[in-house]
Amino acid sequence: MAIVTDRPDSESSGTELEPAGDGAAVLEDSPHTGVFARPTHATGWREWLFTVDHKKIGIMYGALAMFWFLVGGIEIGLVRLQLWAPDGEVISADFYNQLFTMHGVTMVFLVIMPLANAFANYLVPLQIGARDVAFPRMNALGLWVFFFGGIFLNLSWFLGGGADGGWFAYAPNTGMAYSPGHGMDFYALGLQIAGIASLLGAINLLVTIINMRCPGMSLLRMPVFTWMILVVQFLLVFALPVITVALILLTFDRTFDANFFNVDAGADPLLWQHLFWIFGHPEVYILILPAFGVVSETLPVFSRKPLFGYPIVVLSGAAIGFMGWGVWAHHMFTSGMGPVSVAAFSATTMFIAVPTGVKILNWIATMWAGKVRFTVPMMFSVSLVAMFTIGGLSGVMHAIAPADTQQTDTYFIVAHFHYVLVGGALMGMFAGMYYWWPKAFGYHLNDRLGRWHFWLMLIGFNVTFGPMHIVGLQGMARRHSVYGEFDGFEFWNKIATIGYFFMLIAMVILAVNIFRTWGRYRRGLEPAAGADPWDGRTLEWAIPSPVPEHNFDYVPVVSDVDDFWHKKYQPDETGKLRRIANGDDIAQIGDQHPHLPSPSYWPIVLAAGMPLIGFGLIYNLWIAGIGLLLLVGSMFGWTLEPATDPDAGHGHDDHGDHDDGHGGPDGHDDHNGVLAASTANGEAAGD
Amino acid sequence: MTGTRFAPRWRLAALAGVALLVAGCATGQLDATKPIGKEAQDIDGLMRLSGWMAVGVGIFVAAAVVAIIVKFRAKPTDDPDDLPPQIHGNRKAEITWTLIPTALLVFLTIITLPTVFALAREGDGRTIKVEGQQWWWQFSYDVNNDGDFDDAVDIVTANDLVIPVGEEVNLEIHSNDVIHSFWIPQLNGKRDAVPGRVHHWRISSTEPGIFYGECVEFCGLSHANMQMRAIVLEEADFERWLDEQQAGRAAAAEPLAEDSAEAAGAALFETHCISCHVVDGVYESAAGGNANLIAGIAPNLTNLMSRTAFAGALYETYAQDADREYVRGSDGKLIVNIAGLREWVRNAPDLKPARADNLQGMLDFSEVLTDQDLDNLMAYLRTLGNEPVLPR
Repeated sequence: MAIVTDRPDSESSGTELEPAGDGAAVLEDSPHTGVFARPTHATGWREWLFTVDHKKIGIMYGALAMFWFLVGGIEIGLVRLQLWAPDGEVISADFYNQLFTMHGVTMVFLVIMPLANAFANYLVPLQIGARDVAFPRMNALGLWVFFFGGIFLNLSWFLGGGADGGWFAYAPNTGMAYSPGHGMDFYALGLQIAGIASLLGAINLLVTIINMRCPGMSLLRMPVFTWMILVVQFLLVFALPVITVALILLTFDRTFDANFFNVDAGADPLLWQHLFWIFGHPEVYILILPAFGVVSETLPVFSRKPLFGYPIVVLSGAAIGFMGWGVWAHHMFTSGMGPVSVAAFSATTMFIAVPTGVKILNWIATMWAGKVRFTVPMMFSVSLVAMFTIGGLSGVMHAIAPADTQQTDTYFIVAHFHYVLVGGALMGMFAGMYYWWPKAFGYHLNDRLGRWHFWLMLIGFNVTFGPMHIVGLQGMARRHSVYGEFDGFEFWNKIATIGYFFMLIAMVILAVNIFRTWGRYRRGLEPAAGADPWDGRTLEWAIPSPVPEHNFDYVPVVSDVDDFWHKKYQPDETGKLRRIANGDDIAQIGDQHPHLPSPSYWPIVLAAGMPLIGFGLIYNLWIAGIGLLLLVGSMFGWTLEPATDPDAGHGHDDHGDHDDGHGGPDGHDDHNGVLAASTANGEAAGD
Repeated sequence: MTGTRFAPRWRLAALAGVALLVAGCATGQLDATKPIGKEAQDIDGLMRLSGWMAVGVGIFVAAAVVAIIVKFRAKPTDDPDDLPPQIHGNRKAEITWTLIPTALLVFLTIITLPTVFALAREGDGRTIKVEGQQWWWQFSYDVNNDGDFDDAVDIVTANDLVIPVGEEVNLEIHSNDVIHSFWIPQLNGKRDAVPGRVHHWRISSTEPGIFYGECVEFCGLSHANMQMRAIVLEEADFERWLDEQQAGRAAAAEPLAEDSAEAAGAALFETHCISCHVVDGVYESAAGGNANLIAGIAPNLTNLMSRTAFAGALYETYAQDADREYVRGSDGKLIVNIAGLREWVRNAPDLKPARADNLQGMLDFSEVLTDQDLDNLMAYLRTLGNEPVLPR
């Protein structure tokens, strides 16, 4: 545990070059400097555990989100089976309540948010021409906090049962008196941890987007995806503190017998509803805007036209972000808050449809008169436009407060927000997945399987959620573990359950596609995608696929929206645009090896303290003490570790060899190569 | 060729599909789109108008998407270097399609707001107190019109909200534990029952009948089983119902024949039931709340047999046919669902999930009561009230 007294790179990293001939001396010191040395693993699982590379972090966000998608999907599968017939007896009412609660929590916090995070982490630095995010270690911390938060939340299944109060957790039903199990404790603390993860990511991305754009990239030259991510991070930074407060109040009520929601002690349970929805409604836009960003990228590319009305699309996205703060009480039209409040929130809710509608019409105008290539990502994108529209229109129907008194808490609402979140957000995320897969991994996902995935998903989705409009209007209430034989709900519930299995098969096909194509690629059976497989418009296509660790060989300079596209197409003498270059030919080749932030142990270690604090608050405060020690200790380790690892950084710097820049996701220098380079004073060939 | 060979089967399948569709459209008893109450009819009008507008806009967008798919699809023969016209935007078009949705929404807002305030208006009829608790509804009637609900003549009932046809009934909605939501879809929209608050809501019905409802704000374990019904009666029938409630109360106080099954049942009732349940004027130890339930009250059983349903309106008190019509025995009386009632008393949590160990819901008596005990208890319970007044 010796503290490093000699930290050659602790001054501004990379400015001071290693003196020639000192390589061996540095090597002798550095691997043995105890806890404060930085990890140097460039291969294997440790590379992923300790990485601070925004691209690896993005991929891990995506992989974790897909895992939780499987969990959340299985949870709701049991619910669908229970609702197959009236008076279902597949599962108990108690288990049913836990399942729909955890399904909602999982899909919102552990699937769609991290999926958006996956794309944001991977793409935002690439789209703005940056080497990484502003705070790479903080980025890793966000990932690991999310990782432990998700596990913590779901451990409740094995420790007495999941949360059973609904994802909205209305007080006082979530108090100790009514929900004496630990499920709601895991809910409150698990979401608190996941919220910390989102907040870390949000601050990081905000600073990154505001400060690290390449020369020439003014805000109104930024790709729309990055724009939407920017809006979302602002929403997160302001919305998460609200849910944090609410969850702290709930935790205090449950753990320390506080009276924030105790009616007998004078509390008003509507306090929780206001807090929850002041967070919860912006949260809806946090979930959907990244998908809007994705399709704002894909629709122009596959229509071979610029985005119609770029400034309006950006502004309407920002407008949605602002207006999203003024509509929360439309979740409470029946809560008895009085006709004036109801009227006000009814009106504000109506008008948030305007910027949303503008976006849809602009997307349609983007495709209109184009030469539309119906690739898999384009099919998902077009389905977002159509399906989200349905969800948006039913949303306007609930904005009419009196109508909402009939619709709220019925399956009509379930249909509405699944059209928004599955037909909108998830379809957009799938579009992004197929669209950027070649960029991230260097090969395309299989097209035929992708089409199967798309069609089964689209059909299954509509077969599942379309009928819910009907049973909802027929009066089928949400969150009812059974319905009666006289209710007339059976037929459409059967259809919906059948639709679920279509979507399940679609997901199996996606999994097959991912693993099969990966295996084929490793055996050399899949062609390399090239830097610019889709004739892209934004900067991420101007660098090799998969993206080299350092992203850009040189910092790009842009002078237009879709700058990369303008490098490929220029007007000829008649003024007509003509292709002058292929993207693959003018893309950077990825042969530079600049300084990069070194990996770090501390993000994952620090994050591991958080679930311990959570367990401590539930079971025994001593465990929380251990967690707190770990957390604070990690903060010291974090602060005191050298700014970069002495040998890894300089090894890269002098490294002349660049053959391995195109090999695959792991194709950069391995550990031995770095050591060899250092010991031989930067002259050895890495391979 | 194959077309003709498969035609009959195909047609059959189509026919079956249509039949299924019709079956699926056969709506149930909670259908908000078949409004009976005046309030529900007003809401239904708004819902239909906005629904058709949404369908219109949806068709417009869908048509545009289809046109794009059909008309603007890239062809394999296209020159890959040739670009479609590069249109970056059109201010006029964008202003137009900002203004048109705005105008539509202004219109919707203008027709919505009056209804919001109209629904909040107080009705001109009587006031009924509605109390939600895990997991049943209690209704109290201020019979002597003195502004409270706790006089001897005031009626306290459960599951059945009996109201006269045509009257604008004011509901004073309370909750005794968590948040519930009162909803009888064919009469009006929902209104939450929030502990610590009193919410006012209005219902009315244009015709007599039984209209079903349920709790629609998630309220814990047995949320799905917290049902109710509005029994809407002609004015004269309603008056008769009021009288029968008083008569039932008086009859409950009458002494039972010694050594009868009823008397034995009453003894068992006194041993096992009165720590939670009240029979007006006879067993009132649980009146004013008791410590065995978080909600503080269990259903008042004074006129038990005058209610059409028990166990949070989950089960029918009297036998019905497949069309949900009540059937009468040879003596012209309704046939009591005695097996159901008996099973409920024997092991309630088996019929309706509850957590008596956490003071939520009814206990399991299957280890406590013998078959003989249950028979005696049934005999006693059958003395509590006359059969219900049903809408004609």
